[in-house]
Amino acid sequence: MADQSDDKTGISRRAFLGTTAGAATLLGSGSSAAQQAPSVPEGAPAPAPDQLERDLYSAPPTATAAAVNTPGSDHIVQLLRDLGIEYVVSNPASSTEGIWESIINYGDSPDTMPQFITALHEEAAVDMAHGYAKAEGKPIVALLHGTIGLMHASMAIYQAYHAQTPVVILAGRDDTNFVRAQSANDIAGIVRSYTKWDAHPDSLEGVLDAIHEAYRQAITPPMGPTVVVIDAELQKLDASDTAVPAYQPPRIRGVSPDQAKDIARSLLRAENPRLIVGRLRTPNGVETAVALAEVIGAATDSRAWIDPMSFPQDHELSGPGASADYDFVLGLERGGRDASIIGPHRKTVEGRDVTGIGYGFVREPPTPIWGPYAPPKPGANDIVADAEVSIPLIIAEAWNQMTPSVQRRIDNRRRANAAANKAARIAGLERALEQRRRGWNGTPISTARLFAELYALIKDEDWCLPSPTQFTGQHNRAFWQHTKHYSALGQAGAGGMGYIMGASVGAALAAKNRDRIVINIQPDGDLNYVPASLWTAAHYQLPMLVIMHNNRAYHQELMYGQHLAASRRRGIDRAHMGLTFRDPFIDYAKLGQAYGVESEGPIDDPEMLFAALERGVETVKSGRPYLIDVITQPR
Amino acid sequence: MLFSLLFVPGLVAAQSDEADPASGERLFLGIGCYSCHGYNGTGRVPLSTETSGLLGSETAFLAYMRLRGEKAQLYPSREMPHYGTEVISDGELLDLYTYLVSLDDDPPALEDIPALQDLIDDAKADKRDDTTNPE
Repeated sequence: MADQSDDKTGISRRAFLGTTAGAATLLGSGSSAAQQAPSVPEGAPAPAPDQLERDLYSAPPTATAAAVNTPGSDHIVQLLRDLGIEYVVSNPASSTEGIWESIINYGDSPDTMPQFITALHEEAAVDMAHGYAKAEGKPIVALLHGTIGLMHASMAIYQAYHAQTPVVILAGRDDTNFVRAQSANDIAGIVRSYTKWDAHPDSLEGVLDAIHEAYRQAITPPMGPTVVVIDAELQKLDASDTAVPAYQPPRIRGVSPDQAKDIARSLLRAENPRLIVGRLRTPNGVETAVALAEVIGAATDSRAWIDPMSFPQDHELSGPGASADYDFVLGLERGGRDASIIGPHRKTVEGRDVTGIGYGFVREPPTPIWGPYAPPKPGANDIVADAEVSIPLIIAEAWNQMTPSVQRRIDNRRRANAAANKAARIAGLERALEQRRRGWNGTPISTARLFAELYALIKDEDWCLPSPTQFTGQHNRAFWQHTKHYSALGQAGAGGMGYIMGASVGAALAAKNRDRIVINIQPDGDLNYVPASLWTAAHYQLPMLVIMHNNRAYHQELMYGQHLAASRRRGIDRAHMGLTFRDPFIDYAKLGQAYGVESEGPIDDPEMLFAALERGVETVKSGRPYLIDVITQPR
Repeated sequence: MLFSLLFVPGLVAAQSDEADPASGERLFLGIGCYSCHGYNGTGRVPLSTETSGLLGSETAFLAYMRLRGEKAQLYPSREMPHYGTEVISDGELLDLYTYLVSLDDDPPALEDIPALQDLIDDAKADKRDDTTNPE
């Protein structure tokens, strides 16, 4: 880096009108132009050549006034450490260099809790934070650069907003010695319409309080992304006299005592109650849902095959139960026929969409009519409250109202439901396997064979499936048992492509320290948006197996396009144009290798598949990522 | 409704003796049938094991393919496209039919696929219905 002493360089900070390097150029180039930076008088009407060169990113950052022993960013990092933030994911930039330097150098164990993770695109950084939060039920931080960083990340922020996933975004701002277009008065305004909360404090104390509030807001239903804009000067000022405040957790509202009493009474009186469990907030929520199901012996429907934080499918009560004639159905973060407990919808957060963009709310949804993914219109027995907080209250009331005769009925019901659920699992599996044997030995490789052979290798491992599977055959629903709160991490949020690889890396960051492996069945179209996340997986040695679903097309669009062309009665044989990856085919094994990931393929012979999967699983179990390019059936 | 179209004037009579399955295969790939039905007809909507009767005769097949040939599309759709005569001729449809009925998938029996049999065996061995110790 260039010498930081003002005396040595003779540069007056106020007088110097040059700008620093832009994103990803924290280290100075050492060029002769930078070392000979001129002193420019105030009010100069035209930029000097050196200033132009700085605008084009070739110069190092400007000197500071004096060395600082306790920079503000040290306190920021200490605060993140106290919050248990495991990672700060970032595309590095000069407006956030203060925080970056504190992460890698501050404290007894620098670059640990949080660890700095380099993402090669800001969109990937936020997708990584998204995937991590879904797996662990708590946020990490995405550190972004000014206007352009937030803009690059905006797609991913939008998706986290729609998915109601907690992500804390710290955005650097530097409007002094900087490229002017990379700063703004209201940086957070770029994404305000699809974030839950934001702040731009004017003091370090304000920054510390704001980060705490951003964390609280992110994890309080309706969960979502939050933004704190942090001026570069606040990161670098002397903070010796500032203390890091203690964190106060949020108060999250559950059902009232009377509501808990009524629900418990209904569950205990029912001969055949049922629970419908959606996506709860944290792993603790899953444990409480299991406890409630066991207390009342209720057959329970689970979303664990498609959403995180849902009821484990290997539990004896997971399934349809002995009878489908349910006389009380309670939904937990999902609509239940007789009652529901669903947290507040993101639309209830007032005042965010100041320009009336109306993202996602242009028209009323057809179904469901209420719930976390639709504007809330609760029925008479539907309660807007957090299910995870409510469940222990209901359990306590159930025990208060329990009688020996009710307990005997529950015990009998539980045994009957368990036996019926096991039989249903076997029957459903046999039906699905019989149907999905078709094309078993064909080429391209059947998606059913891919899912089945893969599961044979991972079923006794601790695995996480971060990739949504509606485009890859969704055979996990029929074949796999989703038993953990992170088994499946669900949809992108806004259905936007490019999410899956970043989210999978985020899930792998969570998996790395927990002896878990990540299985990413990766649609080819999705990978091509931000493939560089493969480098992050390689560099940080993440346990992620990428299995390409290589059908060589934007296949959804291809089916749409064929339908449209045919209905217009022309050119259906041309409907592949613009929608397929042909001429040339993309070699994903080479792509993975280019980013440092051990890779093989393409594989189109089904007899070669299992051995490749075996190599992949063994590699990721040893803690290294692996990519297998598989040529598959379109669906 | 389907079978009433069998009596609609204008449907071309079968000319199966002249049908070309090789042409049918080119059409199967060229007009994108594979994208939903899969290569070799073993995809998401399989044809190699089709049992609905639509492949039962050329006449039934032609009638079905022409069923909504004049309908316009208002929304993006993954449904079966509408095959009017401007998109595919009667002769081409017969070529396609000849190819489709030649498709044959003979997957191994469940017990001969270890990965699948293991899933069944694991489910049967599941002890989850043992509730003698619920805690």
